[in-house]
Amino acid sequence: MPHHAEQLLHPPLGFGLGLRIPHYEAILESRPAVDWFEVLSENYMVPGGKPRHYLDRIRENYPIVMHGVSLSIGSSDPLNRDYLKQLKTLTDQIEPRWISDHLCWTGVDSTNLHDLMPLPYTEEALQHVVDRVSAVQDILGCRLLLENVSSYVTYKHSEMSEWDFLREVAQRADSLLLLDINNIYVSSFNHGFDPVEYIDAIPVNRVQQFHLAGHRNQGGCIIDTHDEPVIDRVWELYEHAVRRFGAVSTMIERDDNIPPLEELLAELDRARHIAKQALTQIADA
Amino acid sequence: MSQLAALQRAFQTHILHANDAIQQAITGTPLAPATERLGIYSTAYRLRLLEALQTDYTALHAALGDEDFEQLCFAFIAAFPSTYPNLRWFGANMDAYLKATPPYLDIPVLAELASFEWAKGLTFDAADEDRLTIQDMAAIPGADWGRMTFQTHPSVQRLDFFSNAPLIWKAVAAAADPPQPSYTEEPLSWIIWRQNLSVYFRSLDKDEAWAIDSLLHGVNFAEICTGLCEWVDELHASQHAAGLLKGWLESGMIRSVHFKT
Repeated sequence: MPHHAEQLLHPPLGFGLGLRIPHYEAILESRPAVDWFEVLSENYMVPGGKPRHYLDRIRENYPIVMHGVSLSIGSSDPLNRDYLKQLKTLTDQIEPRWISDHLCWTGVDSTNLHDLMPLPYTEEALQHVVDRVSAVQDILGCRLLLENVSSYVTYKHSEMSEWDFLREVAQRADSLLLLDINNIYVSSFNHGFDPVEYIDAIPVNRVQQFHLAGHRNQGGCIIDTHDEPVIDRVWELYEHAVRRFGAVSTMIERDDNIPPLEELLAELDRARHIAKQALTQIADA
Repeated sequence: MSQLAALQRAFQTHILHANDAIQQAITGTPLAPATERLGIYSTAYRLRLLEALQTDYTALHAALGDEDFEQLCFAFIAAFPSTYPNLRWFGANMDAYLKATPPYLDIPVLAELASFEWAKGLTFDAADEDRLTIQDMAAIPGADWGRMTFQTHPSVQRLDFFSNAPLIWKAVAAAADPPQPSYTEEPLSWIIWRQNLSVYFRSLDKDEAWAIDSLLHGVNFAEICTGLCEWVDELHASQHAAGLLKGWLESGMIRSVHFKT
């Protein structure tokens, strides 16, 4: 059975959901059987009011992890110290179990494209990202989780695969990984690689969290829309990932076309079931 | 410039200004050529920012209709690329843009709608601070009342409008037919604030608007009483000021009291 290197990973939290505004009241009223919630850090970088009120009440009952979209760890701009200060302040207030952001860039020349732009997989970019992850980890005082993004372009001058780049960043910067199984599938379709080869290349002792989500197939490319249920092929990859990485904290990420909480709870039950079966089979083998 | 920086700048220039230099750095496939792949990013960029503006400016959207609102937003997006880590703040310059840009500058209600909606947003997630209560006031000796100055709750905002923008917003929020835009010679005063997590707004009579503006500028209670003599006789000025103060306290608009000679 896979085992975690305890010195690197936090204890797994079980099965969680992304905390979304339409579910605030339902969560407080029904206390659903969700093990933890992931919050979008930027949504709570506001002075006060409803967002912070609901988060404070929900975190009384559930562990919270923070997930950001604007760190822009791969940008050639200097690190945004104001943003990092806000992130650190929020971290001190929310006391999340861990903090994640994406292995991407979001803009240069002080512009923010508000998108998760893919990096070229070059030695230059790798060293750049490693240096910045180390700096951010020093500021935050903890290991950062980096998530693989869905992408629609590959750069001609990339020198290595995405999975080699991701692994090298995590190992050289001593950071952790948030493996988005859907993103691996989306990018494998868009760029024609084997998603299983990707998963099998990721070090077991660095993977702290999984994301699961839905997407839209537009023919030539799959778009990572987070507005549909998880598809069967992604569930199969999830099962493969559980067999490799063990009991990793897993969550469903829905950002648009948000259904009633019950629907997401049912989807989360499917994740529980798949993980339980996979782990039982490994234990029996 | 490093190869990474050059690549990122070229990609961003493609998204912001449709410059195609980045295409030579992208691998296309028969099923999805480079132009289609790059187009996914360009389209998503505009749609994401449009969605943020749609969330911030529902009444402006309703007033303009879908087509004109989209046209406005795409022009705004081109004029003000986001520099904010948080999409929450992207629409901050909309009222200034409408005031300065034809044809919108000829329809002042549009900028006032934008000002009103943005102010409501600021009130919605303004800082949580304690509020002064009527009970707190009861503990202050009468002899000190004249020296009182007040700090308002961070959610409180004072605005003046020549148009009926707040009433248009109110109708849109209630899914009712909005009134036609109308204007007054003198601006009407409004106050927006938050109580129990809900955002409220109301119009102000001239005396109350003056009193709140004075309070916001640190004028003490005795001076506010004196100033109110412009609207009420001297005998009733203190009583009127106390009545206004009671209303502000009950609405949760006052954060704290201080004393100034």
